[in-house]
Amino acid sequence: MANPFSRVGEVFGRVPRWVYVAAALVFAIVFPMLESYGLMQTLWLRLGTRTLVYVLLAVGLNLVLGETGLLHLGYVAFFAVGAYSTAILSSPRFDLQWNFWLIMVIAMLLAMLFGFIVGIPSLRLRGDYLAIVTLAFGEIVRMTLNNWEWLTNGPGGIPGIYPPVIFGWVVDQPAEFFYLLLVVVVIVVALVSNIKNSRIGRAWNALREDEIASHHSGVRPTQAKMLAVVMSSGIAGLAGAIFAYYQQFINPTYFLFMQSVIVVCMVVLGGMGSIPGAVLGAVALDATPEIIRQTFTTWLPRAVGSDFLPAVQAALQTDFDRYRMLIFGLVIVLMVIFRPEGLLPNQLWRREVHEEDPREIEHTRQHLFDFEEGRQDLEV
Amino acid sequence: MTLEHIFGLTVSGLTVGMIYALIALGYTMVYGVLQLINFAHGEVFTIGGYIAASTLIWIGVDATTPLAVKFAYFGLALLVSLVLTATLGFLIERIAYRPLRNRSRIIALLSAIGTSIFLQNLLVIVFGPQPIIMPTAVVPTGFVEIFGARIRVLQITIIVVSLLLMALLTWIVKGTRMGKAMRATSQDREAAEMMGIETNLTISFTFVVGSALAAIGGFLVAMYYGSLQFNTGFLYGLKAFTAAVLGGIGNIPGAVVGSLVLGLAENWGVGLNLGVLAWLFVGGLLLGLYFQLVRAPRFRIDHIAEEFRTPAYERRVRDVYRFAPVVALKTLFAERTDALLYVSAQHAVRLTAANVILLGLAVLFFVNGDVQFASKWQHVISFAVLMAILMFRPSGILGEHIQEKV
Amino acid sequence: MWSERARKFLALGLTVALVATLGLSGCARDETEEPDDTGATETIKIGVHTSLTGGLADYGFAAAEALKIAAEDLSGFEVDGVTYDIELVIKDDKGEPAEAPIVAQQLVDEGVVAVIGTLTSGAANAALPIYQAAGIPMISGSATAPDLTEQGFENFFRTCLRDDIQGAALGEWALELGAEKVVVMDDRGDYAVALANEVEEAVDAGGGEVLRQEGQEGEVDFSAQVSNISAFGPDVVIFTGYHREAGLLFKQLTEAGVEAQFMGGDGIKSDLIGEGAGGAENVEGALCTFGGFAQEGMPGFEEFAAKFRDATGEEVGPYAENNYDALGAVVAAMESAGSTDSADIISALFEVEFDGVMGTLAFDEKGDVSVPGGGSGTELVPRFEYTGGTWVYMP
Repeated sequence: MANPFSRVGEVFGRVPRWVYVAAALVFAIVFPMLESYGLMQTLWLRLGTRTLVYVLLAVGLNLVLGETGLLHLGYVAFFAVGAYSTAILSSPRFDLQWNFWLIMVIAMLLAMLFGFIVGIPSLRLRGDYLAIVTLAFGEIVRMTLNNWEWLTNGPGGIPGIYPPVIFGWVVDQPAEFFYLLLVVVVIVVALVSNIKNSRIGRAWNALREDEIASHHSGVRPTQAKMLAVVMSSGIAGLAGAIFAYYQQFINPTYFLFMQSVIVVCMVVLGGMGSIPGAVLGAVALDATPEIIRQTFTTWLPRAVGSDFLPAVQAALQTDFDRYRMLIFGLVIVLMVIFRPEGLLPNQLWRREVHEEDPREIEHTRQHLFDFEEGRQDLEV
Repeated sequence: MTLEHIFGLTVSGLTVGMIYALIALGYTMVYGVLQLINFAHGEVFTIGGYIAASTLIWIGVDATTPLAVKFAYFGLALLVSLVLTATLGFLIERIAYRPLRNRSRIIALLSAIGTSIFLQNLLVIVFGPQPIIMPTAVVPTGFVEIFGARIRVLQITIIVVSLLLMALLTWIVKGTRMGKAMRATSQDREAAEMMGIETNLTISFTFVVGSALAAIGGFLVAMYYGSLQFNTGFLYGLKAFTAAVLGGIGNIPGAVVGSLVLGLAENWGVGLNLGVLAWLFVGGLLLGLYFQLVRAPRFRIDHIAEEFRTPAYERRVRDVYRFAPVVALKTLFAERTDALLYVSAQHAVRLTAANVILLGLAVLFFVNGDVQFASKWQHVISFAVLMAILMFRPSGILGEHIQEKV
Repeated sequence: MWSERARKFLALGLTVALVATLGLSGCARDETEEPDDTGATETIKIGVHTSLTGGLADYGFAAAEALKIAAEDLSGFEVDGVTYDIELVIKDDKGEPAEAPIVAQQLVDEGVVAVIGTLTSGAANAALPIYQAAGIPMISGSATAPDLTEQGFENFFRTCLRDDIQGAALGEWALELGAEKVVVMDDRGDYAVALANEVEEAVDAGGGEVLRQEGQEGEVDFSAQVSNISAFGPDVVIFTGYHREAGLLFKQLTEAGVEAQFMGGDGIKSDLIGEGAGGAENVEGALCTFGGFAQEGMPGFEEFAAKFRDATGEEVGPYAENNYDALGAVVAAMESAGSTDSADIISALFEVEFDGVMGTLAFDEKGDVSVPGGGSGTELVPRFEYTGGTWVYMP
């Protein structure tokens, strides 16, 4: 390996995986404490909480996009369904304040139901139709939320969402939300990793790699795909329900198509089919732009003087979003062309996209010799 | 519900349908040749319109310019736009799609989406977020009165120009060497290559032609509606893709038919009373019943091998269709069924479901005959059409014209 | 081998993030420990939460410039024997509710005692919980949605008229013009829909026949709506969205041969509407109302307009004077409370009566501005006509 990082990589690679997981967990647990001891601004805690929501979404979408190989472009619709469940059932809008657990269950079930509905027409079809159907479905949901004023108050949104009460504990501080989300993320990641390594997970991977071959090996494609879509919808609904509690206000502009694209970008960047990848992708794409922006617009000017690179400051202040999305678009294209396995790749997916590489075939022979050799075609 | 209202809506629907068609043709050609949804096509459309409009504004046409000079300027602007947009289409294929040609479809589609996002934001950075506006002095504003409805000359121009372009495209695909190469490439790329066809060149050509059509569409939108915004292409692209699927993707006449249907559905949907719309569902129901009771059983029976075609068996096939869902469900859940009956039963259940839904909608609409859909549901209608067509007839109205390699 | 590399990336990322967070939070802490017992003049931080980019950038620009002028004018006020200078902390939320909480948190972290903003009602709804939790007063010069002051937030105030007043005024005006058939159209944005609902109610109550239509913000094709409108044959077409879509809609209506009076809310009160319509002649004679007060008759307006022109080289933008007076209200409240504490400012704001550019203002118990000279509301809504490429005040 002529990679300059390879030696560093080997050193890091010798550390067992649980060490990294533990380090990440410790970091996540310590993170809100920094704020409560006044070591960090609350802003960062808020951004961290937002990142955790994206982590949840990325892990959920990874089930569909990464594990099963279906491009889902309306993922934010299920997020919206969850968020509106909370907003309607726990706000002054209809003067309701339902129990937190009940709302979580309703949000998940409702999102799963919607996932099922969108799955019926699209999963029997070729994979790329699913992309368009889900995209259209996402827009239908957003426009319906915007138009159905009796239920959702239309574009005005639903303000004043009550904080959740969990066993008598009122969650209303940013740090509390961070921990709540962290617990949810840990549970979801644990569940998803188990499923991934189960029969169902292997069926999904088989479908992704060769639908026809897997069909003939006893996988029922529509059912397996439906399961992935429904489960990931449930995760998005859960994320949305907590998100609405956290924001205390939602309206349809939170659920634009671009949000779905951002989550897709996270999964692609981190590595399709890899849970650590999804987590890393979410953290990288949600936190990095904000850190860059704060560095150039707040900290450096403060440290060096406000005239520090005024052009960069101005550009970041006015066109930040444009450049961010421009780079997101570019990231997707470059990643799929040059490193389709993502930053933290999953073994199988990596093999799949680099099959022509002799080094990789050798690697595959050494490590995964139980797979048939010389499978050439990926085109369907 | 006056006649001129219906007529006005129809002309508006046809006009917007023709514009959808110009974009949908690009989608459908690329899909036919590469089996790829060229997601960036909507952005190509916007960029084409932007370039043409800004060229016109830059030249500085106003109301005093003589007509002949005006037309020359229009031609010039269009030419600039065509050249640049076709180059863009060529580059998109070269940079974003060609390296991925042998990868799975989802990878190529991801690349297309990334390209689309990139181009849209590039457009904002170059031209700014404010829309580009055509001064009315530039645009011909004449009109004629037909059946009491006012039809703009520009609407007629759009319809005529689109029809001419479609005829030209049909000639290219059916009558030229390049068209033959395109058809061959779409059937089987490897075989076409072995026969000495330059598939790379053919694919590039497809992108160039599709982009040029989209650019003309963009220019017509800027002229007709008076404005283009950086994100206009997203919605138009999505609608045009819907139209392509509606007509049967990969199918050139299908794209045109689908576009017109979609344009009309959008305008009629929010312009006509439900009582009037209900008749469309009645028509659909009659068609659906014809399919279920006559066409589909006949089609199935024709596929039975001669030696098995006994009158009793034919009747069983017919009964599955005629007395669905009872007989069809019985067949589906029977312990021993033969494959043809099983497939027929599935098909019959689907057809019955569609017909029941059509009947329900027709009744619902007749009952609420005086109400009208609020115009806020316009886009929802077109997306609902997309979901409905995929649920009940995924191959589209005219069927797909692509060869599935499996 | 690859998962090794993966681990490496993860570890690197975590280390960098940890170091960065610690280091940066260190910076942040240093910032708050500024010693400031140097003399009788102190600096007080006031947050400006507005939208400098996005669709309403021109509104945000006007607000920010007006506030800069106000900060200069009002600096040097005295509270409890200490002279204070105002330092504005200006932040941009792009008019997006999703961004507003982040901006709000930044301002809270900066330690501002009061916030002027937000520009839009959606952002106000999203930011309010954070300012509420921090106990910081929030005074908007342009958030007009009625529900903002109906939710019982005690820290929200505004210096502009509510949509229900403006909507009623717009509807009444249409009826005054003798309209019997009125088209009310919105753009599905929160502001336009709220206003359109009020207009529809007012016209209905006045016995007019209403056709409600909807477009989408950012859309260019209104052909279905134009067909419907032209079949309805209205006397007045009221569009409650913003000037871009308004210009296009009015142009397409003109081209379709609809001869009606075009009207709109304050969203269309931009001179750019002429350009958007492809030529000022397409919207000549259009009428609009405004959510601020009539500038004619404002005691301090001429002086303010001159300063605004000097500072920016442009005419006074929309809601500039409302923002100016929002800062005026904060300063007056601090003076009357004798304190710069946020909680004291909030309670003083309910009491204080002060002279601003727009006249003598006060806030009612909900936080809405009580209008100068009293009155029920709709007669205070100023009216404008578009003539010769600009909006002209109609007394």
